[in-house]
Amino acid sequence: MIELSVVDTRTICRIVQEKHQFDLSGFAHTSLKYRLAKLMAQYKIQELDILLAKIGQDDGFFDSFLHDLLVPSTEMFRDPSLWRWLKEGYFPSIKDKMTGNYKIWLPLCVDGYELHTLTIVLKELELLDKVKIIAGVLTNKSKEVIEEGILPLKKYEISAENYKRYQGQANFDDYVAKHDYYVVRDRSLIKNVQFIKQNNLFDHAPGNVKLILFRNHCIYFNPSMQERVLVELHHNLSATGLFIIGAKEKIKNIESSDTYDLIDEGESVYKKKFVSKS
Amino acid sequence: MSTYKAVIIGGSAGSFQVVTKILSSIPTGFPLPILLCLHRLKHVRSGFVEALSLKSNIPVIEPNDKDSLKPGIAYLAPANYHMYVELANRIALSTDDPVNHSRPAIDLSFITAANAYRQKLIGIILSGANRDGAMGLKKVHEHGGTTIVQDPAECEVKTMTEASLQITQVNYVYRSDEIINFLKKSVRS
Repeated sequence: MIELSVVDTRTICRIVQEKHQFDLSGFAHTSLKYRLAKLMAQYKIQELDILLAKIGQDDGFFDSFLHDLLVPSTEMFRDPSLWRWLKEGYFPSIKDKMTGNYKIWLPLCVDGYELHTLTIVLKELELLDKVKIIAGVLTNKSKEVIEEGILPLKKYEISAENYKRYQGQANFDDYVAKHDYYVVRDRSLIKNVQFIKQNNLFDHAPGNVKLILFRNHCIYFNPSMQERVLVELHHNLSATGLFIIGAKEKIKNIESSDTYDLIDEGESVYKKKFVSKS
Repeated sequence: MSTYKAVIIGGSAGSFQVVTKILSSIPTGFPLPILLCLHRLKHVRSGFVEALSLKSNIPVIEPNDKDSLKPGIAYLAPANYHMYVELANRIALSTDDPVNHSRPAIDLSFITAANAYRQKLIGIILSGANRDGAMGLKKVHEHGGTTIVQDPAECEVKTMTEASLQITQVNYVYRSDEIINFLKKSVRS
């Protein structure tokens, strides 16, 4: 794999900003550098200048490049205990309040594994028709990948194991169609999902959201960008809305924060603090 | 004052006892952070850090993303995450694809630590059953860090140590007692 220097990485960020007005400067340096080097190897590009030229001249290439740069979810039903908590604790407790305008937002969807997982959980609770799910995508390719619904065999096996640990009501195979080297997820589950094409991480945010699922995305940002993301997402949550990030992502200084209450430390579940307007 | 800034240890099958022995033998207040990248079951999130903590003389934690690295603490790579050393002496976690069938991958932890600490890093590869870590230790060597491999004769499973020795002229091949003595000595001066 090609070794990129700090200067190389910054040059790529600059060109992306200049040509596509997309800001990569808030991405954490080490993982960004690794992803860029990995992409160059995947694209069989040996020279930095060639990559820069393609980014600058080819919008279609940039769309794929940005999709590939974002790290996809590892599997469906990752951390089964979190999904079990939603199934057994959270969703039943607010079931009566779901009136069709219950908005769930998944910003920055790359492959749809979290999205599909969520729809299975809701379907088994017979709540899928009572919510409005909004999936944010940064690229056209991400939307295509999600709608295509392919799950490589290895990830299928891990996901099926996770589903057992989640203790779902059905068989995981009920939600996929099997092929030789991959499976295809049941596309009907996402037929009512509203996709929002975002040009950056924050535009076209839906607002008044009851639940934001944003697991293992903040780890790819630097601390100042993380701070910004948390503030922006907080603005889009309704009062007492739920915010879920990755198990090893934490909102620092939560004790002194007037933004969130920690609901479940192990699963990194936070609730927007209710501030009375007196 | 030690010339080193961090220690990184990688291991897989057969490394648990050695890591436990190291953590129970180094002094309280060991003046460097110790990064532990050990292969583990990806779906078992608890129990490992508690087991390592039992006899350890220093706190053992599973870091959260962007935690600062501090001396005298052992940082265990969490299950199903890669653990990088990020700019400004912080941990960064990643859910990127497995490397060498592993997440956490020892290679990635070692490579990022080598980039961050260069010659001020001690890299140690212990017993294990695949080749993960060999490339990472090579990077530690290329950046001028000190490289140590557990003596394969002492390893429960020697694949990992032998893979490292095949591609890197390491500084030391040590038994676990000697690794402990080296760590104590290198922070004493």
